[in-house]
Amino acid sequence: MKKHLKNKYFWLVLILFIGTSILINSTSSERNQISLIEKIIRDAYTPLQSGVVEFKDRLGNFTVFFSSKEQLQQEIDSLKEQNQELTIENQVLREDKMELRRLRSLLGFQDISLSKYEMVPARVIARSPSNWYRNIVIDKGSDSGIEKDMAVISSRGLVGKVASVSRDSAHIDLITHREIAVGAIVQESRETQGIVEGLGNSNLLRMVNIPYYSNVEAGNNIITSGLSESYPKGIDIGVVKEVELQPDGILLSALIEPAVNFDKLEEVLVVINYTRVSPSEDNVVE
Amino acid sequence: MRYFILGLLPFIAIFLQSTFFSAYSINDALPDLVLIFVVFFAFLNGEKKGAVYGFVCGLFEDLYLGRFIGVSAISKAITGYIIGRLQVRFFNENLLVGLMVVFIGTVLNSLFMFILGWSAFSVFNIDTSIISSAIYQSIYNILLAVPVYIWYYNSSQRGLLSLTGRDR
Repeated sequence: MKKHLKNKYFWLVLILFIGTSILINSTSSERNQISLIEKIIRDAYTPLQSGVVEFKDRLGNFTVFFSSKEQLQQEIDSLKEQNQELTIENQVLREDKMELRRLRSLLGFQDISLSKYEMVPARVIARSPSNWYRNIVIDKGSDSGIEKDMAVISSRGLVGKVASVSRDSAHIDLITHREIAVGAIVQESRETQGIVEGLGNSNLLRMVNIPYYSNVEAGNNIITSGLSESYPKGIDIGVVKEVELQPDGILLSALIEPAVNFDKLEEVLVVINYTRVSPSEDNVVE
Repeated sequence: MRYFILGLLPFIAIFLQSTFFSAYSINDALPDLVLIFVVFFAFLNGEKKGAVYGFVCGLFEDLYLGRFIGVSAISKAITGYIIGRLQVRFFNENLLVGLMVVFIGTVLNSLFMFILGWSAFSVFNIDTSIISSAIYQSIYNILLAVPVYIWYYNSSQRGLLSLTGRDR
């Protein structure tokens, strides 16, 4: 009898193990949509996680109340100064923008600036609870028009892309993630093309497939090339830290410090109406 | 009530991990509260219940994460089973024993995650840093386990998690 019972457990465990292995395998690659149960679980967490962020904000306001008047005055003064500088810079840039628009229309070039895209602002409400898989969660989902693979940016630069969506939240894979590859160019020279990849655990990125004759050096700005499926052109990715020759001797790779501080990310923008400019049109633009 | 609390614990654990602990990582490592609950449950209830609870909690965590669904379920189930086997060998009222069990559980769970994730190299952050990450996670788990074990042990003796009636 005992043996029989043992056998029963053995078969149960075996079936469960095989079933789970199949589940692991079928969810190991990217899926277009997550299952209903996953959506229910995530949407159950969203109001709680949003509540925590709101609570932190209020706590922040509360501490401001106690900050000394002098300190606040100093901050206001420096912000006023910065505001003036930016207003002047903005005037100059607005003038340049109008000129650029005129020249573009004169030459029949397409407008590829970021301003033409529709963006949905969202708050970062949670981060991955696991050491094994790093991502962030935002408080907008399919109800706000967000879909899988849309680009996510912040005021500082590229953040990542939408990995999965539920009704009220979306999980975002950061560009530091191993699976993400972004087509990139060097902002200064405009000619060097490469692919920026995440390094996984580290907060740094690596740009690979740069031709050996390229003029790329530490301090260069790296921006998106617009040749990837998900990312519009011209978004800051980061700054080159060091350049080295790849083992094959024909290509270079560069270590890149991301423009975005992922640990301090509070608000992001999701680009919801980007469609890739085809390479031929893109060449015309360049 | 006991089952309700047992079901609520992994839910609360993931909530705390994703909001609070993710902002206070030790050397980039997060604790694993779900694992701590699985380890304590297994240690106080034996290997079979430990394995089932580990599987259910792990599956819940996997469903929240949405990738490689089942990896945590299997690794936490095996961890729960092994920790449950230790139940008869140790006195479970000693806090130090509780902390030791959490340490063993964290090391075992990391090992099983590592083995299961091996085939999925590209997504899991598996490299040498995962060893340091596992060490820091063990430290973090032990620190958290102090208050959690005191509450968990007392609660399972005469509080919300105690066995009543036929369960005993």
